[in-house]
Amino acid sequence: MSVVFRLEAPYRGEYALHRLTFGGNGPAAVAMVAGLHGNEVNGIQALNLVAGMLRVMRPKRPVHLLPCVNSIGADEARKRWPFDDRDINAAFPGDPEGAPVERIAAAVMDATDAELCIDVHSGATTVREHPHARVPLSGPELEHARAMMLPVVWRRRGDRYEGGLVGAWRGAGREALQVRGGRGLALDMDDATTLARGLVRLLAHLGLISHQDTGTPSHDTDHVQDYRSMAGGFFVPEVQTGERVVSGKLLGLVRNPLGGEPIEEIRAHKAGMVLAVRVYPMVHAQELVVRIAEDAT
Amino acid sequence: MSERLEEICSIELPTGESVGVHRRRFTGGLGPHVAIVAGIRGDTPEGTRVAHAVARHLSTHHERLCGTVDVYPCVNPLAAHHGARHWPGFDLDLNRRFPGRADGHAPDRVARTLLDATRAADMVIELRGAHPAFREETQAHVRHDQPVALERALRANVRVVWRRSAELQGTGTLAAELPGLICLEGGVGNRLTDGVGLELCDGVLNLLVVAGVLPEDALPFHWAAIQRPLVATDEDIVRVRATRGGLFLPSGRMWGEVEVGTPLGEVVDPIAGETLEMITAPVAGRVLAMREQPVVYPGSLVARLVAT
Ligand SMILES: [Zn+2]
Repeated sequence: MSVVFRLEAPYRGEYALHRLTFGGNGPAAVAMVAGLHGNEVNGIQALNLVAGMLRVMRPKRPVHLLPCVNSIGADEARKRWPFDDRDINAAFPGDPEGAPVERIAAAVMDATDAELCIDVHSGATTVREHPHARVPLSGPELEHARAMMLPVVWRRRGDRYEGGLVGAWRGAGREALQVRGGRGLALDMDDATTLARGLVRLLAHLGLISHQDTGTPSHDTDHVQDYRSMAGGFFVPEVQTGERVVSGKLLGLVRNPLGGEPIEEIRAHKAGMVLAVRVYPMVHAQELVVRIAEDAT
Repeated sequence: MSERLEEICSIELPTGESVGVHRRRFTGGLGPHVAIVAGIRGDTPEGTRVAHAVARHLSTHHERLCGTVDVYPCVNPLAAHHGARHWPGFDLDLNRRFPGRADGHAPDRVARTLLDATRAADMVIELRGAHPAFREETQAHVRHDQPVALERALRANVRVVWRRSAELQGTGTLAAELPGLICLEGGVGNRLTDGVGLELCDGVLNLLVVAGVLPEDALPFHWAAIQRPLVATDEDIVRVRATRGGLFLPSGRMWGEVEVGTPLGEVVDPIAGETLEMITAPVAGRVLAMREQPVVYPGSLVARLVAT
């Protein structure tokens, strides 16, 4: 483990950006980042599981892991950088002479100079997401995502131009994608383990390690439907992430939080796999309650 | 001639309660339509104070009014309820949600309703607070390619009119949707600042005269008392940053004249007490903003200067 960047932190010594590098010599093949959002602990857990595998497998070329970029946020269970409440993921490509989050962003760009870069996130604290990769409609990232065999591959129009770290990586000419799973502020062990297995499968697919792990092909779609509550209330889900649903299936009920009378039934319009479910039940009107990765037509 | 309190939008909460977003509408015959918007973020009480000070003057002079003035004292009441910048629960910055959506969740619906209600106005004035860590001189922000807005802002009783490039305004802001918008700010974030509220109130009233909804003799002061601002472009605004982490102890004076090398403050080690860095002005000019929250990291902004 090495410290690739330090920043004087008043009252508490310093902030240090840690990187773990495994295997080989020469330019790095892959870089993986987690904890840009300090409370998204599933990514931290996933990269630490990958680290455990790589310690014994010695990849043929260097693989960098940055398991916890926003370590001060992680200490305090906060998504953003606590000092000024700025989102590190909104500070890319960063500036080595700029504000603290811009300096951290620039350091992350430098520390992840690899052919393929992966950013690992969780969902919001109120929503649990099933492990999935978000990729453009075509191109090398789509192939990498399929090789991971995560439960869902979400092909997204316009993703080629997205912002944040993934956008900055692509702007720097690197192949880049985001994987996500679980919710913020909670350790969802199954989701973190699924993410880690997908990342290890990808390293094997790239020929960096020899490792056999069978999987089933991802539910691969560019049709993802958000279901929102019409009215606010208390949302009680009837499905779990990863569950297959048919058209018409009851996804959940919005109830009166005071008395429990049903206000609204939410049903699937099309068949697919449950990609996200709201886990914090108090819901405002027009907020996300369920997201379905629909079957490709 | 009338004065009404109107609810433009209602925010329904999951528990069944609802909170209204309101405007105070002052109408006095045919004439221009001016909108004064405060509290897009919840940490800007100065804007709300100014909005009500302007409204108080209008309610005692509304027989002199030619046109309509809509005063929105606080469009983000849930955030203002606890002095937070972002919309609580959703944790969204309302000033990144414009143009909003009529069928969206509450922040998006408020954004769209406000935009629809102000889009056709002849003049829109946004009252914004300073960043919470800073003290700011009074200033008006206009888009660099809007000559009418510039000409009006020169009469807004501020120290500086900052002509900003469209890119620097950020996407999703109300200003990005309304190119002619005049944004006024000053004081200390999340606080009321002596003098600033009065200066901005006088500025807004003078803008109502400029817009033609209020006659000059209805002003509570003589028009000649209005300050003549410096006009600055993005290049004239110089940001001064700490290069060390610690406690920033300012020595510069707000709106003080500085030369290259004039001390602005020092960064000291908050535990050992030694001076880590002396910070000096990199250009000649005046101090437009100064850090009030003293804890700094390397790279933290400590002052903003207008180069002269
Ligand atoms: Zn995240």
